[in-house]
Amino acid sequence: MSRMPMTKVMEGNEAAAYGVKLSRVEVIAAYPITPQTELISTLASMIARGELKAEYIKVEGEHTALAATAAASAAGARAFTASAAQGIVYMEESIWMPPGMRLPVVMCIVNRAIAPLGGLRPDHNDSLLQRDTGWIQIYCENGQEVLDTIIQAYRIGEDKRVYLPVAPCYEGYVVSATATPVEIPDQEEVDDFLPPYKHEMYSLYPENPRSPPRLMRSIAEARYEVQQAMERAKKVIEEVDREYGERFGRYYDGMVEQYRCEDAEAVMVTMGSITGTARDVVDELREEGKKIGLVKLRVFRPFPTEEIQEIGKRVRAIGFVDRNTSYGAVAGCGIGCIETARALYPLDEHPLLLNYFVGLGGSDVTIPQLRHIAKRILKAAETGKPVKDVEWVELEKLEE
Amino acid sequence: MGMILRAFRPVIDQEKCKRCGICETYCPEGVIVKIGDDYHIDLRFCKGCGICANECPFDAITMVREKPE
Amino acid sequence: MSLVEKFEEHYKEKLVRPGNGCCPGCGGSLAWRMLLEALGKNTVLYGGAPCAGCAMRVIKLPRFGFHFSFVGDGASGIAAAFKVKGREDITVFSSAGDGGVGDISFGKVSACAERNDNFIQCCIDNEAYMNTGIQKSGLTPYGAWTTTTPTGKKSKKKMIPMILAQHRIPYLATLSIAYPQDLMKKVRKAKEIRGFRYLHLVMPCPTGWRFPASKTVEVARLAVQTWIWPLYEVEKGILRLTMKPKQRPVEDYLRLQGRFRHLTEDEIAEIQRSVDEEKERLLERDGKNIWL
Repeated sequence: MSRMPMTKVMEGNEAAAYGVKLSRVEVIAAYPITPQTELISTLASMIARGELKAEYIKVEGEHTALAATAAASAAGARAFTASAAQGIVYMEESIWMPPGMRLPVVMCIVNRAIAPLGGLRPDHNDSLLQRDTGWIQIYCENGQEVLDTIIQAYRIGEDKRVYLPVAPCYEGYVVSATATPVEIPDQEEVDDFLPPYKHEMYSLYPENPRSPPRLMRSIAEARYEVQQAMERAKKVIEEVDREYGERFGRYYDGMVEQYRCEDAEAVMVTMGSITGTARDVVDELREEGKKIGLVKLRVFRPFPTEEIQEIGKRVRAIGFVDRNTSYGAVAGCGIGCIETARALYPLDEHPLLLNYFVGLGGSDVTIPQLRHIAKRILKAAETGKPVKDVEWVELEKLEE
Repeated sequence: MGMILRAFRPVIDQEKCKRCGICETYCPEGVIVKIGDDYHIDLRFCKGCGICANECPFDAITMVREKPE
Repeated sequence: MSLVEKFEEHYKEKLVRPGNGCCPGCGGSLAWRMLLEALGKNTVLYGGAPCAGCAMRVIKLPRFGFHFSFVGDGASGIAAAFKVKGREDITVFSSAGDGGVGDISFGKVSACAERNDNFIQCCIDNEAYMNTGIQKSGLTPYGAWTTTTPTGKKSKKKMIPMILAQHRIPYLATLSIAYPQDLMKKVRKAKEIRGFRYLHLVMPCPTGWRFPASKTVEVARLAVQTWIWPLYEVEKGILRLTMKPKQRPVEDYLRLQGRFRHLTEDEIAEIQRSVDEEKERLLERDGKNIWL
C-alpha cells in the first residue's frame, strides 16, 4: 500500500467530508442546511459505499444534531456535526454544552449570514456569535485547509490539556461550493497522526462508569478550568499544526499567519477566504513599493493576543477586516476590531486601529475593495491619522 | 448527614404484621427492609409520608407524631 | 451487625439508595425504585431534570444528560456510539417528565420514534411542570388546577402513547406504580426488544395534585380502576389491555385531589362520559392491530 497522497479537484464541502473520513469519525448527527448540505450528503454516500464506518443519525433539527453528537462523544465515540447560520442559532442551547462538559466534538460551521438581513451567502456572525461559549474556532481559507483543519481539530480537542470542542469555520459558497485541487493525505499517515479517541474523564459503561467531577466545585472554579483549557489550547494548536506540517507538508503558522509583514508599516487583518484575495492585493501593492502586510487571523478562539501585540509593536497602522456586524457595539466597530483593540491596549505605543466592514451578508469581496482598504491603512500609517476610523466599505466610494 | 425532618414516624406492630411485604414494595424511599423475620424501617431516611400505613392491609403500621427535639 | 449496618448492606445490593430530595410520598421516587429493579445494572440512564430527577442523584448507574429540553436526542447519540463500539448489550434508558416528552421536546421524541433509535424512552408523568412550581403542561388533564390554569385546564390531556403507537414503534406500554408486577413485567419485556420502545408512567404528585402524601399509591390505583389511566401495551401494533378492572366512578379518584376540588357536577359528568367512551373504544380494539 503506497503512502502517496492523492490530489483531486473538489468543492470545500467534499474536502470537509474527506477530513471527517480520514479522522475515522464514528458517529455523525447532522441536519441539512444550505450551504452545508453537500458535506453531509457526501458523508452519507461515503458511509453507504463502506468507505466510512460510522453511524449517521439523520436528526430532525439542529438542536438535536449537536446534542446527539455530544452524547455520542461522552459515550466514547469520535463524533462530528456541521451547520450554518439559522441552524447554528437554533442549536444555541446545545452549543453551550460541550465546552462546559469537556466534550471534544468537532463541528464545521459553514459560515452563512443570519436572518433577517442575511441570506444564503456567507459572513462570520454565526460562528463569532459563539465566541463566549468555550468552543475553539479556526477559520479556513480554502478547501485544503478545511480538510487539514478537521483532522487537526480532533488532535487539538482530544488533547488531555484541552478537552474542548473545535469549530473549523469556512465560508459557504466561496469555500464550500468552490472547486479547487485538494490533496487527500494517506489514511495510514493520518492514523499515525491521530490516534483513536479515548476520553479520560468519561465512561458510560456500567462496569466502570466515569464522569468529570461537577458537584463539588463552585461555578467560578469550574469556569476557570474551562478558561485555562482555552489558554493551554494555544500551545497545543501550535504544536499540532507544526507536526501536521512536518508530516503532510502544510503548516498554517499556528494561531496567526503573517504574510509579507517583516518590514510592513501597515497591515490588514483578515479571516477566512478573504485572505486569499487579500494576498493578491498585498502582492500588487508590494510591486508598487508599498510596505503593506497581511495578517491572517486563523484562530479566533482562543484569541491570539500575544501575536497581535507583537505585530502591534512593529507597525504604525492595523486595519481589521470584519465580515460581521455587531449592532450598537463600542465605537460602531466589528467583533474582530474590538478584540484587537483590547489586545493592543497594554502596549506603550499603539498603532492606529482601523475597521473595515466588507462582504456582509455574503456580498462579493472584490480586489478593488481590498485595494481601497489597504490604501486607507497605508495612508493612516503615513499621515498618522485615519481618513475614517470605521468604514462600511460597500457603502463607500472606493479609492483607486 | 443532614437530618430528615418529619412530622410523623411509622411504627410497625410486629404482632399484627403478616410479613406480606406490601409496605416495602410501596415505600418511595426504600427504607423498609426485611431483616431476619421482621420488617424494619430505616428512620435515618424515612420522610414520614405514611404510604406504608395507608397501604398495609392489616393496619399493622401506625403513624406516630414525632417528638420535637 | 448493628441495624444500621444491616440496612447499609441491603442498600449495597440495590441500584438506588434512600436519601433523595424528593417530596415525601413522591410517586417518582417510588417509580424509580421499581424501574431500576426491572432494568438491572447493565443500563445507562439519559436525561433527568424533571421533578423525579431529584430521585436520580442517589442512583448508582452511569448517567448522562444535558437539560430537560433535550429528551431522547442524547440517547440516540449514546445508542449510536454503543453500536459502533459493539456494546448494544447495554440498555439505554432515557427518562423525562411530561413537559419534556409532551411539550418542549415532543418533536424530538417523535423523531426518535420515526428513526426507531435503539433505546427505551420513559415518560415519568406528573401531569404538570412540577419542578418549576406546578404549571400546566400538554399532559395536564382536563379540569385540573395549576398555577397557570387556576380555574381548571380547559383542554384535554395529550395522549402521547397512542400518538407514538402510530409511529409504528416495536413496543410501548402504560405503567402504574400501583401495579408493580405489571410495571416490571413491561419494563423487562421492553429491555429485550430492539428499536424505539416507549413507556409512560403517570406518577401522582402529592404536592401538585394536592392530596396527603400517604395516598400516593391509592390515587395511582384509582387512576387505573376508574379507567382514567388504563394499563395496556402495544406490541408490533397489537393493543393488549393488561388490566381490565371493574370500573369505579371517576369521582372516587377526583375527590381525593385538591386540584379537582372546584369541578362542577357537569364537569365531572363530562369527565365520566369521556372516560366511558375511551374505555369502550379500548375494549373494542383489545387484541387487535391499531396501526391505522
